[in-house]
Amino acid sequence: MRRVSLAIVGLLMLVNSSRTPDADGALCPLPDRKASITSPINEATLLALERENGCLEDDADTPPESWPPGWKTANISGGDVPPVRVVSDPYPTLHSVVVDSERDKVFFSDPNRHALWSYDRRAASRDRREVEPLTGIRGPSTGMMFIAAVTLDRDKQEIYTVDNDIGDRLMVFPYDADGNVKPKRVLDVPHQAWGISISDERNEFAVTVEAPREIVIYRKGAEGHDAPLRTIRGPKTQLGDPHGVFLDGQSNELIVANHGNHGGRAPAPGDAPARQRGARVAENQPIAGGQFDEPSITVYPAAATGDVAPIRQIQGDKTGLNWPMALDVDRTRNEIAVANDGDSSIRLFRRTDTGNVAPVRVIKGPRTLINGPMGVAYDLKNSEIWVANYGDHTALVFPITGTGNIAPKRILRNAPAGSPTVGFGNPGAVAYDSKRDEILVPN
Amino acid sequence: MHGIFYDDIHDEIVVPVALAGAVLTLPGDAAGDAPPKRILQGPKTGIVQPDTIYVDLKNDELIVESGDNAVLVFPRTAEGDVAPSRRIGGPNSGIDNIYGLAADSKRDCIIVANRVESGGRASDDAILVFNRTDTGDPKPRTKIAGPHTGIIKIRQVFVDEERGLIFATIKNNFEAYNYADPRPSPWDPDKTGFIGVWGIDDNGDVPPRGVIKGPATGLVWPAGVAINAKHHEIYAIDSVSNALFTFKMPEFFVKAPGSPPPGR
Repeated sequence: MRRVSLAIVGLLMLVNSSRTPDADGALCPLPDRKASITSPINEATLLALERENGCLEDDADTPPESWPPGWKTANISGGDVPPVRVVSDPYPTLHSVVVDSERDKVFFSDPNRHALWSYDRRAASRDRREVEPLTGIRGPSTGMMFIAAVTLDRDKQEIYTVDNDIGDRLMVFPYDADGNVKPKRVLDVPHQAWGISISDERNEFAVTVEAPREIVIYRKGAEGHDAPLRTIRGPKTQLGDPHGVFLDGQSNELIVANHGNHGGRAPAPGDAPARQRGARVAENQPIAGGQFDEPSITVYPAAATGDVAPIRQIQGDKTGLNWPMALDVDRTRNEIAVANDGDSSIRLFRRTDTGNVAPVRVIKGPRTLINGPMGVAYDLKNSEIWVANYGDHTALVFPITGTGNIAPKRILRNAPAGSPTVGFGNPGAVAYDSKRDEILVPN
Repeated sequence: MHGIFYDDIHDEIVVPVALAGAVLTLPGDAAGDAPPKRILQGPKTGIVQPDTIYVDLKNDELIVESGDNAVLVFPRTAEGDVAPSRRIGGPNSGIDNIYGLAADSKRDCIIVANRVESGGRASDDAILVFNRTDTGDPKPRTKIAGPHTGIIKIRQVFVDEERGLIFATIKNNFEAYNYADPRPSPWDPDKTGFIGVWGIDDNGDVPPRGVIKGPATGLVWPAGVAINAKHHEIYAIDSVSNALFTFKMPEFFVKAPGSPPPGR
């Protein structure tokens, strides 16, 4: 949960002008809506961003919206009323990151604006200015909703991303896609998918799914309603709210970052089909009671299926794991890098570590500028580690052997320095704290 | 997390944790990695995947959506693995997927934002009102549902006890569970969501008494609503535009003694 205070937000302040539906009940755009802005960003840029984001509706061609039956004759208060304040982040958030070092490109997923962005790998912000992206995939044709991970099929030059809590699709775009374009392929995936990892050696990709605590593995090229090749799920797996994943076709292992949460029902049998939204996995499983387990990294044989125990498990107080998000593997150095959102660090473990072990290195501290990292990715060719900060509008680049409280080699901003990050991600409720005059929003 | 309650008497924040089958109570000033004061979790609780909660401060009760098509009622300070005091659920109740909960201690009732998924945008969503002390599988005492209500994909509800009003967030669109479905909002301007206001005693297929709806509102998929009666403000959180909106609607906060709720 992230607290949101009225004192520090208010990126947009819109003038209030109450309005009621017109005589036939239709709602039309306000003709004279003016906006006054209090923002570190200049007004023209902010409005252009908001309009592009679909947050402002000034399109005269938009057909009038019709109201439900009976409303036009009912005495209904209110109507098409502009807000007096809006808290919103007009810039993309940086969620997950992946690098193609051969083509000098880096890609990010953006759940705030439902988009994928690519940048020149060598780009760095000068002073406080943001870097212009090479491409931005966004808009109604893309179909992207609340997306999470991003990864690449470098051979085919394809970008993969997946919907998390809204949408339930995996989408594949060509590298050079830009703008409001349809995906090349889409695939039904279980509700609450998060991580994706492709193995060229196995011609497969793996997807983590949070609530059912499962990993679904598909053949590369799967689309439509194609079923997974296999599913890893069940009490022996020790999967708990899985997020980051790496399908290692060289070592033939599957490595998973777990938050450690277990829902109130026992996991479905390992051989039950993956559940789509609105469907059940066979019969409801018995109520086992929810559980907060310690976060972990679990490792399985790449060909594992069903209810299998991990062959290794990194877990315990020495690990420092706390909300481990994405992970990546350096197969030359045999290291696992974990984006540890809970304490704003990158934790690096030996690939073969198991048990309650300390990381071999930790990148953490005020000089690092790491702030709520969601994404981490190796660039082996250039000996670098990329970090995507969800807590502000930056991505950071460190030497691949970096450790401790070190400054990044490069900073890539996607907003002017100092632009606040609201941090909303599919928020579903709100409450008012009357003692502190604050508004509380859970993510 | 898709639910939250601020308890201004005990200065506590209460949240459901769907992915861990738990309800956490935190200090009102909690920030950062603060530990909860109480955890309600375990097989006896019947809590499976809770999305929403409410605290009835007058009756000192915690009302929890089980994640299992039921309303569970506990003592407010319940913690650990304890059974609920009461449970409402079953075919007579009509309870299916609960997306919002509230209570009205003046009228002694529990309000349930209920969804019945039927694929795509179609649904039989409703605001169900039960007697506060109901348990088992009772019929709701009132049900606001039908085409005239405009209720399609309901989310959080908030009750203004003083004025006898229910504020409900209506997404007005489905969430695209099939890869081949047309993509829903924010890209479809004809199906954006709204805040609907009903009287707490309304029943049947009735239009709302008040709405905040239309392009100027900025609302796409409103998922949460709360009011600040002192400042005549309505707060709405939107799950697609990732934005928090504040509306000034003074007419929603005016009520002469003995008069019906505004709008009628």
